[in-house]
Amino acid sequence: MFMNANLFEPGKSKPERNFIQGAVKQNTRFDGRKSNEFRDVKLTFGADWGTVAVSIGETKVLAQVSCDIGTPSSARANEGTLFLNVDIKGVAFLDEAQATHDQRFLTLNSLLERTFKSSRCLDLESLCIAVEQSVWCVRVDINVLNHDGNLYDASTIAALAALMHFRRPEVSYVEEEIRTFSERERELLPLLFLHYPVSVTYCVYKSSSQPLVDPTLLEENAADSVIVLSFNSYQELCTLNAGGTAPTNVRTIMQCARSAASRSKALVQFIRKALELDAERRQQPNQVAGLVDLLNESAPQLSFKHLMAEQGQTETNKADQLSGDEPMQLQETVSEEQTTDTSTQKIPEPQMDDSSWLPQEQNLSEEQQVDGVQLSSKQEVPTTAKAGKSKPNRGKNKFVKKQPPTPRKQNQSDSEEEVTQII
Amino acid sequence: MSTNTSIIMPGERVTIVEDAAKSKRIILGPGLRRVDEKVVATKAGPLRHKEPNTFWVDNYQRRYVPARGDLIIGIVKARAGDLYRVDIGAADLASISYLAFEAATKKNRPDLNPGDLLYARVLNANADIEPELVCVNSNGKRGKLGVLQDGFFFKCSLNLGRLLLRESCPALAALTEELPYEIAVGVNGRIWVKAHSTRETVGLANAIMTLEQAGYAEIEKICGNLSGVMQA
Repeated sequence: MFMNANLFEPGKSKPERNFIQGAVKQNTRFDGRKSNEFRDVKLTFGADWGTVAVSIGETKVLAQVSCDIGTPSSARANEGTLFLNVDIKGVAFLDEAQATHDQRFLTLNSLLERTFKSSRCLDLESLCIAVEQSVWCVRVDINVLNHDGNLYDASTIAALAALMHFRRPEVSYVEEEIRTFSERERELLPLLFLHYPVSVTYCVYKSSSQPLVDPTLLEENAADSVIVLSFNSYQELCTLNAGGTAPTNVRTIMQCARSAASRSKALVQFIRKALELDAERRQQPNQVAGLVDLLNESAPQLSFKHLMAEQGQTETNKADQLSGDEPMQLQETVSEEQTTDTSTQKIPEPQMDDSSWLPQEQNLSEEQQVDGVQLSSKQEVPTTAKAGKSKPNRGKNKFVKKQPPTPRKQNQSDSEEEVTQII
Repeated sequence: MSTNTSIIMPGERVTIVEDAAKSKRIILGPGLRRVDEKVVATKAGPLRHKEPNTFWVDNYQRRYVPARGDLIIGIVKARAGDLYRVDIGAADLASISYLAFEAATKKNRPDLNPGDLLYARVLNANADIEPELVCVNSNGKRGKLGVLQDGFFFKCSLNLGRLLLRESCPALAALTEELPYEIAVGVNGRIWVKAHSTRETVGLANAIMTLEQAGYAEIEKICGNLSGVMQA
């Protein structure tokens, strides 16, 4: 579509806004989607580890992960660092007013920081080489190539996929000396994840109670408020960003949250699948896609609709399974509540949200918190089984693993405990 | 004419035009320029010729360059003193005076707010001065000019805007057969449409947007498709 073709941002005039408001009321969208329908997500992996181009419709984002050895901060001497950098200057047609530009940039950057840094999705301790001396500094550069709405989802998907794709060289630390092994000497190592967050964006309009998912730039600019929810593949809330002026029902937000949770799970599954396919492709020689191929789409693209369609059948089975598992798990977690109580404050974001969960959701939210705790104390390898399957398993693991360390936990920081388990 | 198919690039010497100039007086349109005894192209695109003696380059462009007398659509951005600032897609914001509306006086000012759409004529266009607009003709009547209410508004290339305005263009006529609508086309590549329902407006806007990539031959087909889309 040529909507944004003319160095011009849509949604800046009254007729456009009124039109979109009216269209939302009648449940029509400009591109013919339903209000809860997503655009197709496409992933393209570059030749280097950690290079990913993501496109959602016309929105296009390029993420590149790099790492080097630096010194840790004194507060967290045993952790590597994660730095996220967003660049949206490449999109020339956006409103050139400095204030709008800065605001856009800051919102996006803070969303990414909360999704990836505050939720502690990377196991930063595994990036430590020598305490207080040298750690790996991982840097994610996100370049926005085209903006047709929903930059949030595109950037989180790009950042996550790039981080999951990335491999760092192995190092050894002997007698105060760091030795970095090249790719030929030792195989490169993937980063360790504790969980996999992605965001889902909704637009809320005053004229309608039905929020629009995956908005285009026109819809985003005409919206009264934009809600961004980040969930990880275990359906735990990582970030909630609700701005704007539209009065929103709690029920609406809950409804968004629920569908966002399942969407996030599907997205992470999709990224995993895409990574697998990419790994297969890398086995074959002469399959290098350079930067130019990445941008002009001659490199093989992995499309969400295409990949997940195959999965469709197994998905439904899994959904049945999952709904059967849920009550069982609920009982487990309730019985265990006291033991994990002390450590719940570790994940402040879900807890702050607790008040907005509906009463009927009480049990669910508790379960999620407990899951969160359990999750961070448990070592996760990126190649674990699919989220749906692993859920009940984790419940069982927890029982076994949790009991011994609980007494110490009271006066020990959680992060230290993690180290002991992981190393 | 065979010249219709020749593509020229900026800086290229256009000998066809030079040859024509030997026998008669010719007019060089946009994208062509005389340097001493030579004719040189300044833009890329197919060379066009209109009988008897006009030549120009039909280049694909999205950035509007204001010219006196153009009918354009602009978005009101701000008010400044006794002027409104209007975004017309050019390098500068244009300005329009409070008094440049029908029946406007110092006391009786038009009520415009940021975000309003304005269909206006370019009064002044100069490289060094910001463009100035008016919403009245020389008799002080508004005609079709003024604020555009409701409807939908979108942006396209300058070429599409010009294509729709061309008398020989079948697109608008073909669309008229499908449904009744109102349209305002600015030569700055901005189009405002309004039909009876949201659905129709969406279909109409999408049909016009697809014309962007369509050749002349496909226009009828695209316009004909519209009714099928509407019923679906």
